[in-house]
Amino acid sequence: MKFRDYYEILGVDRNATQDEIKRAYRKLARKYHPDVSKEPDAEARFKEIGEAHEVLRDPEKRAAYDRMGQHWRAGQDFQPPPDWDAGFEFSGTGFDTDAGDYSDFFEALFGSRMRQAQARQRRAKSMPRQGQDHHAKVLIDLEDAYRGGRRTVRLATPTIGADGHLVVQERELDVTIPRGIRAGQHLRLAGQGAPGIAGGPPGDLYLEIEFREHPRYRVDGRDVYVDLPLAPWEAALGATVPVRTPEGSVELTVPPGSQAGRKLRLRGKGIPSQPPGDLYAVVSIVLPPTTTEAQKEAWRAAAKAFEFDPRAGR
Amino acid sequence: MSDESRSPIQGPVVEEQIEFTLVELSRACGADEEQITALIVEGVIEPIAPGGAAAQPGRIDLDAARSQWRFSGSALRRARLAMRLARDLEVNPPGVALALDLIDEIEALRARLHRLGR
Repeated sequence: MKFRDYYEILGVDRNATQDEIKRAYRKLARKYHPDVSKEPDAEARFKEIGEAHEVLRDPEKRAAYDRMGQHWRAGQDFQPPPDWDAGFEFSGTGFDTDAGDYSDFFEALFGSRMRQAQARQRRAKSMPRQGQDHHAKVLIDLEDAYRGGRRTVRLATPTIGADGHLVVQERELDVTIPRGIRAGQHLRLAGQGAPGIAGGPPGDLYLEIEFREHPRYRVDGRDVYVDLPLAPWEAALGATVPVRTPEGSVELTVPPGSQAGRKLRLRGKGIPSQPPGDLYAVVSIVLPPTTTEAQKEAWRAAAKAFEFDPRAGR
Repeated sequence: MSDESRSPIQGPVVEEQIEFTLVELSRACGADEEQITALIVEGVIEPIAPGGAAAQPGRIDLDAARSQWRFSGSALRRARLAMRLARDLEVNPPGVALALDLIDEIEALRARLHRLGR
Protein backbone atom coordinates (compact mmCIF):
# COMPACT_ATOMS: atom_id res chain seq x y z
CA MET A 1 0.00 0.00 0.00
CA LYS A 2 1.30 3.46 -0.86
CA PHE A 3 1.01 6.46 1.39
CA ARG A 4 -1.32 9.09 -0.03
CA ASP A 5 -0.62 12.74 0.49
CA TYR A 6 -4.09 14.26 0.58
CA TYR A 7 -2.72 17.79 0.76
CA GLU A 8 -0.68 17.26 -2.37
CA ILE A 9 -3.71 15.80 -4.17
CA LEU A 10 -5.75 18.92 -3.44
CA GLY A 11 -2.74 21.17 -4.04
CA VAL A 12 -3.03 22.91 -0.67
CA ASP A 13 -0.63 23.67 2.13
CA ARG A 14 -0.59 21.47 5.23
CA ASN A 15 -1.86 24.38 7.30
CA ALA A 16 -4.58 25.38 4.84
CA THR A 17 -7.82 26.59 6.39
CA GLN A 18 -11.03 24.57 5.97
CA ASP A 19 -12.21 27.24 3.53
CA GLU A 20 -9.08 26.90 1.43
CA ILE A 21 -9.54 23.15 1.35
CA LYS A 22 -13.14 23.52 0.26
CA ARG A 23 -12.21 25.97 -2.49
CA ALA A 24 -9.42 23.74 -3.78
CA TYR A 25 -11.71 20.73 -3.74
CA ARG A 26 -14.52 22.46 -5.61
CA LYS A 27 -12.23 23.79 -8.28
CA LEU A 28 -10.67 20.37 -8.90
CA ALA A 29 -14.02 18.58 -8.66
CA ARG A 30 -15.43 20.79 -11.42
CA LYS A 31 -12.38 20.15 -13.55
CA TYR A 32 -12.37 16.38 -13.17
CA HIS A 33 -16.01 15.46 -12.68
CA PRO A 34 -16.51 12.48 -14.99
CA ASP A 35 -19.83 13.80 -16.28
CA VAL A 36 -18.28 17.07 -17.33
CA SER A 37 -14.58 16.48 -17.88
CA LYS A 38 -12.98 15.03 -20.95
CA GLU A 39 -9.60 14.60 -19.28
CA PRO A 40 -8.54 11.02 -20.00
CA ASP A 41 -8.05 10.04 -16.36
CA ALA A 42 -10.96 12.11 -15.04
CA GLU A 43 -12.68 9.31 -13.17
CA ALA A 44 -9.59 8.15 -11.28
CA ARG A 45 -8.57 11.71 -10.48
CA PHE A 46 -12.07 12.59 -9.32
CA LYS A 47 -12.13 9.67 -6.89
CA GLU A 48 -8.74 10.66 -5.52
CA ILE A 49 -9.85 14.27 -5.04
CA GLY A 50 -13.08 13.15 -3.38
CA GLU A 51 -11.20 10.91 -0.99
CA ALA A 52 -8.73 13.66 -0.07
CA HIS A 53 -11.63 16.03 0.58
CA GLU A 54 -13.47 13.39 2.61
CA VAL A 55 -10.54 13.26 5.03
CA LEU A 56 -9.46 16.89 5.10
CA ARG A 57 -12.90 18.49 5.31
CA ASP A 58 -13.62 16.62 8.53
CA PRO A 59 -11.62 18.12 11.45
CA GLU A 60 -11.56 14.77 13.29
CA LYS A 61 -10.21 12.77 10.41
CA ARG A 62 -7.88 15.55 9.38
CA ALA A 63 -6.31 15.79 12.83
CA ALA A 64 -5.74 12.04 13.02
CA TYR A 65 -4.32 11.99 9.50
CA ASP A 66 -2.05 14.95 10.23
CA ARG A 67 -0.55 13.38 13.30
CA MET A 68 0.29 10.22 11.43
CA GLY A 69 1.11 11.74 8.09
CA GLN A 70 3.78 14.30 8.83
CA HIS A 71 6.70 11.89 8.31
CA TRP A 72 5.40 10.23 5.18
CA ARG A 73 5.77 11.12 1.53
CA ALA A 74 3.31 10.29 -1.24
CA GLY A 75 4.01 6.93 -2.84
CA GLN A 76 6.06 5.48 0.03
CA ASP A 77 5.18 1.98 1.10
CA PHE A 78 2.91 2.31 4.04
CA GLN A 79 1.31 0.29 6.81
CA PRO A 80 -0.72 2.16 9.40
CA PRO A 81 0.93 1.92 12.81
CA PRO A 82 -1.23 0.12 15.38
CA ASP A 83 -3.40 2.51 17.36
CA TRP A 84 -2.49 5.26 14.93
CA ASP A 85 -5.71 7.03 15.73
CA ALA A 86 -5.69 6.45 19.48
CA GLY A 87 -6.94 9.43 21.39
CA PHE A 88 -9.06 10.83 18.58
CA GLU A 89 -12.79 11.01 18.81
CA PHE A 90 -14.72 10.03 15.73
CA SER A 91 -18.32 11.04 15.78
CA GLY A 92 -19.01 8.57 13.02
CA THR A 93 -20.69 10.93 10.64
CA GLY A 94 -19.78 12.15 7.22
CA PHE A 95 -19.10 8.90 5.41
CA ASP A 96 -21.48 9.54 2.65
CA THR A 97 -20.07 7.56 -0.25
CA ASP A 98 -20.50 3.89 -1.02
CA ALA A 99 -17.89 1.44 0.17
CA GLY A 100 -15.61 0.55 -2.69
CA ASP A 101 -15.11 4.11 -3.84
CA TYR A 102 -12.07 4.52 -1.64
CA SER A 103 -8.45 3.49 -2.01
CA ASP A 104 -6.79 0.72 0.01
CA PHE A 105 -5.00 3.47 1.89
CA PHE A 106 -8.23 5.14 2.98
CA GLU A 107 -9.72 1.74 3.71
CA ALA A 108 -6.83 0.83 6.04
CA LEU A 109 -7.15 4.09 7.97
CA PHE A 110 -10.84 4.76 8.12
CA GLY A 111 -12.57 1.63 6.81
CA SER A 112 -13.51 0.04 10.12
CA ARG A 113 -14.67 3.38 11.54
CA MET A 114 -16.82 3.93 8.51
CA ARG A 115 -18.46 0.55 8.80
CA GLN A 116 -19.11 0.90 12.52
CA ALA A 117 -20.91 4.12 11.73
CA GLN A 118 -22.90 2.50 8.96
CA ALA A 119 -23.83 -0.47 11.14
CA ARG A 120 -25.07 1.94 13.81
CA GLN A 121 -27.20 3.68 11.24
CA ARG A 122 -28.56 0.35 10.06
CA ARG A 123 -29.44 -0.79 13.56
CA ALA A 124 -31.18 2.49 14.13
CA LYS A 125 -33.48 1.75 11.21
CA SER A 126 -34.24 -1.92 11.44
CA MET A 127 -37.64 -1.69 9.80
CA PRO A 128 -37.89 -4.03 6.82
CA ARG A 129 -36.84 -2.03 3.81
CA GLN A 130 -36.18 -2.72 0.18
CA GLY A 131 -32.48 -2.98 -0.70
CA GLN A 132 -30.87 -0.18 -2.69
CA ASP A 133 -31.06 -0.08 -6.45
CA HIS A 134 -27.69 -0.65 -8.06
CA HIS A 135 -26.30 0.68 -11.32
CA ALA A 136 -23.66 -0.71 -13.63
CA LYS A 137 -22.46 -0.04 -17.15
CA VAL A 138 -22.28 -2.78 -19.74
CA LEU A 139 -20.18 -2.61 -22.87
CA ILE A 140 -21.68 -4.42 -25.84
CA ASP A 141 -20.81 -4.51 -29.52
CA LEU A 142 -22.91 -2.64 -32.03
CA GLU A 143 -23.61 -6.00 -33.66
CA ASP A 144 -25.30 -7.16 -30.43
CA ALA A 145 -27.82 -4.35 -30.80
CA TYR A 146 -28.59 -5.53 -34.34
CA ARG A 147 -28.98 -9.17 -33.42
CA GLY A 148 -30.07 -9.15 -29.79
CA GLY A 149 -29.10 -12.17 -27.78
CA ARG A 150 -27.52 -13.06 -24.49
CA ARG A 151 -24.47 -11.62 -22.87
CA THR A 152 -22.59 -12.58 -19.77
CA VAL A 153 -22.07 -9.53 -17.61
CA ARG A 154 -19.42 -9.50 -14.89
CA LEU A 155 -20.17 -7.31 -11.93
CA ALA A 156 -17.98 -6.43 -8.98
CA THR A 157 -20.05 -5.54 -5.94
CA PRO A 158 -18.28 -4.27 -2.82
CA THR A 159 -19.99 -5.70 0.24
CA ILE A 160 -19.20 -6.03 3.91
CA GLY A 161 -18.32 -9.56 4.98
CA ALA A 162 -19.36 -11.20 8.25
CA ASP A 163 -16.08 -10.11 9.88
CA GLY A 164 -16.72 -6.48 8.99
CA HIS A 165 -14.12 -6.33 6.24
CA LEU A 166 -14.69 -5.08 2.76
CA VAL A 167 -15.07 -7.88 0.22
CA VAL A 168 -15.48 -7.34 -3.47
CA GLN A 169 -17.86 -9.97 -4.70
CA GLU A 170 -17.66 -10.91 -8.33
CA ARG A 171 -20.73 -12.27 -9.94
CA GLU A 172 -21.80 -13.10 -13.42
CA LEU A 173 -25.22 -12.54 -14.83
CA ASP A 174 -26.55 -13.90 -18.07
CA VAL A 175 -28.57 -11.07 -19.52
CA THR A 176 -30.82 -10.89 -22.54
CA ILE A 177 -29.82 -7.99 -24.77
CA PRO A 178 -32.97 -6.88 -26.58
CA ARG A 179 -32.63 -6.30 -30.31
CA GLY A 180 -32.64 -2.62 -31.17
CA ILE A 181 -31.20 -1.36 -27.86
CA ARG A 182 -29.20 1.87 -28.04
CA ALA A 183 -26.29 3.36 -26.15
CA GLY A 184 -27.42 5.25 -23.07
CA GLN A 185 -30.51 3.12 -22.56
CA HIS A 186 -30.96 1.09 -19.40
CA LEU A 187 -32.17 -2.40 -18.67
CA ARG A 188 -33.92 -2.92 -15.38
CA LEU A 189 -33.31 -6.28 -13.76
CA ALA A 190 -35.80 -6.72 -10.97
CA GLY A 191 -34.44 -8.00 -7.65
CA GLN A 192 -30.78 -8.00 -8.75
CA GLY A 193 -29.78 -4.97 -6.67
CA ALA A 194 -28.74 -4.87 -3.01
CA PRO A 195 -30.29 -7.42 -0.65
CA GLY A 196 -33.24 -6.20 1.37
CA ILE A 197 -32.82 -4.93 4.92
CA ALA A 198 -34.47 -6.75 7.81
CA GLY A 199 -36.42 -9.03 5.53
CA GLY A 200 -37.37 -6.42 2.94
CA PRO A 201 -37.26 -7.22 -0.78
CA PRO A 202 -34.01 -6.75 -2.75
CA GLY A 203 -33.43 -3.67 -4.89
CA ASP A 204 -33.23 -3.59 -8.67
CA LEU A 205 -30.18 -3.50 -10.90
CA TYR A 206 -30.02 -0.97 -13.71
CA LEU A 207 -27.61 -1.77 -16.53
CA GLU A 208 -26.62 1.15 -18.69
CA ILE A 209 -25.78 0.08 -22.23
CA GLU A 210 -22.66 1.41 -23.91
CA PHE A 211 -21.20 0.43 -27.25
CA ARG A 212 -17.61 -0.56 -27.59
CA GLU A 213 -15.75 1.80 -29.92
CA HIS A 214 -16.09 0.27 -33.39
CA PRO A 215 -13.30 0.46 -35.97
CA ARG A 216 -15.77 0.95 -38.82
CA TYR A 217 -19.02 2.40 -37.53
CA ARG A 218 -19.97 5.53 -35.67
CA VAL A 219 -23.27 5.56 -33.83
CA ASP A 220 -25.56 8.50 -33.15
CA GLY A 221 -28.70 7.46 -31.32
CA ARG A 222 -30.35 4.98 -33.64
CA ASP A 223 -28.41 6.07 -36.74
CA VAL A 224 -25.14 4.52 -37.83
CA TYR A 225 -22.45 6.17 -39.95
CA VAL A 226 -19.83 4.44 -42.06
CA ASP A 227 -17.15 5.90 -44.32
CA LEU A 228 -17.52 5.13 -48.00
CA PRO A 229 -14.24 5.58 -49.88
CA LEU A 230 -14.73 6.17 -53.60
CA ALA A 231 -12.32 6.51 -56.51
CA PRO A 232 -12.60 9.95 -58.15
CA TRP A 233 -14.29 8.48 -61.24
CA GLU A 234 -16.82 6.54 -59.12
CA ALA A 235 -17.74 9.76 -57.34
CA ALA A 236 -17.91 11.66 -60.63
CA LEU A 237 -19.75 9.17 -62.79
CA GLY A 238 -21.78 7.30 -60.21
CA ALA A 239 -21.37 3.64 -59.38
CA THR A 240 -22.91 0.71 -57.61
CA VAL A 241 -20.62 -0.34 -54.78
CA PRO A 242 -20.84 -2.75 -51.84
CA VAL A 243 -21.24 -1.19 -48.40
CA ARG A 244 -20.62 -3.18 -45.25
CA THR A 245 -23.32 -2.87 -42.62
CA PRO A 246 -23.47 -4.61 -39.23
CA GLU A 247 -25.97 -6.99 -40.83
CA GLY A 248 -23.84 -7.80 -43.86
CA SER A 249 -22.98 -6.23 -47.16
CA VAL A 250 -25.51 -4.32 -49.28
CA GLU A 251 -25.24 -2.79 -52.76
CA LEU A 252 -25.45 0.99 -52.78
CA THR A 253 -26.03 3.17 -55.81
CA VAL A 254 -23.80 6.24 -55.71
CA PRO A 255 -25.29 9.08 -57.75
CA PRO A 256 -23.04 10.86 -60.25
CA GLY A 257 -21.29 13.96 -58.90
CA SER A 258 -21.09 12.81 -55.26
CA GLN A 259 -18.77 15.17 -53.41
CA ALA A 260 -16.72 14.17 -50.39
CA GLY A 261 -18.82 14.44 -47.25
CA ARG A 262 -22.08 13.61 -49.03
CA LYS A 263 -24.20 11.32 -46.90
CA LEU A 264 -25.99 8.53 -48.71
CA ARG A 265 -28.84 7.15 -46.67
CA LEU A 266 -29.74 3.50 -46.40
CA ARG A 267 -33.17 3.82 -44.87
CA GLY A 268 -33.92 1.47 -42.01
CA LYS A 269 -30.42 -0.03 -41.94
CA GLY A 270 -29.48 1.64 -38.66
CA ILE A 271 -30.16 0.12 -35.26
CA PRO A 272 -33.36 -1.96 -35.53
CA SER A 273 -35.29 -0.18 -32.80
CA GLN A 274 -38.90 0.98 -33.14
CA PRO A 275 -38.74 2.86 -35.47
CA PRO A 276 -35.45 1.64 -36.92
CA GLY A 277 -32.60 4.07 -37.52
CA ASP A 278 -30.86 4.76 -40.82
CA LEU A 279 -27.38 3.93 -41.98
CA TYR A 280 -25.43 6.73 -43.62
CA ALA A 281 -22.51 6.09 -45.93
CA VAL A 282 -20.32 9.20 -45.84
CA VAL A 283 -18.46 9.71 -49.12
CA SER A 284 -14.72 10.24 -49.07
CA ILE A 285 -12.68 10.44 -52.22
CA VAL A 286 -9.43 8.54 -52.38
CA LEU A 287 -6.76 9.28 -54.95
CA PRO A 288 -5.17 6.20 -56.48
CA PRO A 289 -1.39 6.00 -56.23
CA THR A 290 -0.10 7.60 -59.39
CA THR A 291 3.27 6.14 -60.43
CA THR A 292 3.48 5.21 -64.10
CA GLU A 293 3.81 7.70 -66.92
CA ALA A 294 0.48 6.50 -68.38
CA GLN A 295 -1.27 7.20 -65.07
CA LYS A 296 0.20 10.69 -64.88
CA GLU A 297 -0.84 11.30 -68.46
CA ALA A 298 -4.41 10.34 -67.59
CA TRP A 299 -4.53 13.08 -64.94
CA ARG A 300 -3.01 15.61 -67.32
CA ALA A 301 -5.68 14.74 -69.84
CA ALA A 302 -8.31 15.23 -67.11
CA ALA A 303 -6.82 18.61 -66.25
CA LYS A 304 -7.07 19.67 -69.89
CA ALA A 305 -10.60 18.39 -70.28
CA PHE A 306 -11.92 20.24 -67.22
CA GLU A 307 -10.00 23.51 -66.83
CA PHE A 308 -11.27 23.39 -63.27
CA ASP A 309 -10.21 25.69 -60.43
CA PRO A 310 -11.58 24.31 -57.14
CA ARG A 311 -10.56 27.56 -55.40
CA ALA A 312 -12.48 29.85 -57.73
CA GLY A 313 -14.94 31.99 -55.84
CA ARG A 314 -13.38 31.36 -52.43
CA MET B 1 -19.63 -19.33 -13.74
CA SER B 2 -22.06 -19.01 -16.54
CA ASP B 3 -24.31 -21.94 -17.07
CA GLU B 4 -25.52 -22.46 -20.61
CA SER B 5 -28.66 -24.27 -19.51
CA ARG B 6 -29.83 -21.43 -17.28
CA SER B 7 -32.08 -19.03 -19.09
CA PRO B 8 -30.76 -15.47 -19.18
CA ILE B 9 -32.28 -12.70 -17.10
CA GLN B 10 -34.63 -10.45 -18.97
CA GLY B 11 -35.48 -6.92 -18.11
CA PRO B 12 -37.43 -4.13 -19.74
CA VAL B 13 -35.70 -1.29 -21.57
CA VAL B 14 -36.26 1.57 -19.16
CA GLU B 15 -36.42 4.30 -21.81
CA GLU B 16 -39.09 2.49 -23.80
CA GLN B 17 -41.09 0.33 -21.47
CA ILE B 18 -41.02 1.95 -18.05
CA GLU B 19 -42.91 4.77 -16.42
CA PHE B 20 -41.67 5.72 -12.98
CA THR B 21 -43.62 7.00 -10.03
CA LEU B 22 -41.91 9.63 -7.90
CA VAL B 23 -41.01 6.97 -5.33
CA GLU B 24 -39.53 4.64 -7.95
CA LEU B 25 -37.53 7.37 -9.65
CA SER B 26 -36.14 8.54 -6.31
CA ARG B 27 -35.12 5.00 -5.39
CA ALA B 28 -33.49 4.41 -8.75
CA CYS B 29 -31.43 7.59 -8.31
CA GLY B 30 -30.58 6.96 -4.67
CA ALA B 31 -32.20 10.29 -3.89
CA ASP B 32 -35.08 11.30 -1.67
CA GLU B 33 -38.35 12.58 -3.03
CA GLU B 34 -37.67 16.15 -1.98
CA GLN B 35 -34.47 16.23 -4.05
CA ILE B 36 -36.29 14.94 -7.12
CA THR B 37 -39.11 17.41 -6.55
CA ALA B 38 -36.55 20.23 -6.47
CA LEU B 39 -35.37 19.13 -9.93
CA ILE B 40 -38.94 19.26 -11.20
CA VAL B 41 -39.42 22.78 -9.85
CA GLU B 42 -36.33 23.84 -11.84
CA GLY B 43 -37.62 22.12 -14.97
CA VAL B 44 -34.69 19.67 -15.08
CA ILE B 45 -37.13 16.80 -15.40
CA GLU B 46 -40.84 16.91 -16.05
CA PRO B 47 -43.67 14.58 -15.18
CA ILE B 48 -45.60 13.29 -18.14
CA ALA B 49 -49.31 13.72 -18.50
CA PRO B 50 -51.45 10.59 -18.68
CA GLY B 51 -51.22 9.44 -22.27
CA GLY B 52 -47.51 10.11 -22.50
CA ALA B 53 -47.18 13.76 -23.57
CA ALA B 54 -44.97 15.97 -21.41
CA ALA B 55 -47.01 17.98 -18.98
CA GLN B 56 -46.83 21.71 -19.38
CA PRO B 57 -44.38 22.85 -16.72
CA GLY B 58 -46.52 25.81 -15.72
CA ARG B 59 -49.39 23.51 -14.94
CA ILE B 60 -47.70 21.04 -12.63
CA ASP B 61 -49.41 21.18 -9.29
CA LEU B 62 -46.56 20.65 -6.87
CA ASP B 63 -48.70 20.06 -3.82
CA ALA B 64 -51.56 17.92 -4.99
CA ALA B 65 -51.29 14.41 -6.24
CA ARG B 66 -47.54 13.80 -6.19
CA SER B 67 -48.41 10.16 -6.09
CA GLN B 68 -50.09 10.67 -9.47
CA TRP B 69 -46.92 11.93 -11.12
CA ARG B 70 -45.40 9.68 -13.75
CA PHE B 71 -42.01 10.06 -15.39
CA SER B 72 -40.82 8.66 -18.67
CA GLY B 73 -37.93 6.18 -18.52
CA SER B 74 -35.61 8.76 -20.06
CA ALA B 75 -35.92 10.83 -16.86
CA LEU B 76 -33.66 8.30 -15.12
CA ARG B 77 -30.45 9.26 -16.90
CA ARG B 78 -31.12 12.96 -16.47
CA ALA B 79 -32.11 12.71 -12.83
CA ARG B 80 -29.05 10.60 -11.96
CA LEU B 81 -26.74 13.02 -13.72
CA ALA B 82 -28.39 15.87 -11.84
CA MET B 83 -28.00 14.10 -8.51
CA ARG B 84 -24.34 13.35 -9.16
CA LEU B 85 -23.63 16.99 -9.99
CA ALA B 86 -25.54 18.20 -6.95
CA ARG B 87 -23.71 15.83 -4.61
CA ASP B 88 -20.20 15.94 -6.02
CA LEU B 89 -19.96 19.61 -6.91
CA GLU B 90 -22.30 20.92 -4.22
CA VAL B 91 -24.35 22.71 -6.85
CA ASN B 92 -27.86 23.89 -5.98
CA PRO B 93 -30.87 22.97 -8.18
CA PRO B 94 -30.75 26.12 -10.38
CA GLY B 95 -27.03 25.49 -10.92
CA VAL B 96 -27.72 21.88 -11.80
CA ALA B 97 -30.37 22.99 -14.28
CA LEU B 98 -27.91 25.33 -15.96
CA ALA B 99 -25.17 22.69 -16.03
CA LEU B 100 -27.50 20.15 -17.62
CA ASP B 101 -28.55 22.58 -20.33
CA LEU B 102 -24.89 23.22 -21.14
CA ILE B 103 -24.05 19.50 -21.05
CA ASP B 104 -26.93 18.84 -23.49
CA GLU B 105 -25.55 21.47 -25.81
CA ILE B 106 -22.01 20.09 -25.64
CA GLU B 107 -23.29 16.58 -26.29
CA ALA B 108 -25.20 17.75 -29.36
CA LEU B 109 -22.07 19.45 -30.70
CA ARG B 110 -19.91 16.42 -29.98
CA ALA B 111 -22.42 14.15 -31.71
CA ARG B 112 -22.25 16.39 -34.76
CA LEU B 113 -18.46 16.18 -34.87
CA HIS B 114 -18.66 12.45 -34.34
CA ARG B 115 -21.07 11.98 -37.26
CA LEU B 116 -18.61 13.78 -39.48
CA GLY B 117 -15.92 11.38 -38.31
CA ARG B 118 -13.68 13.89 -36.56
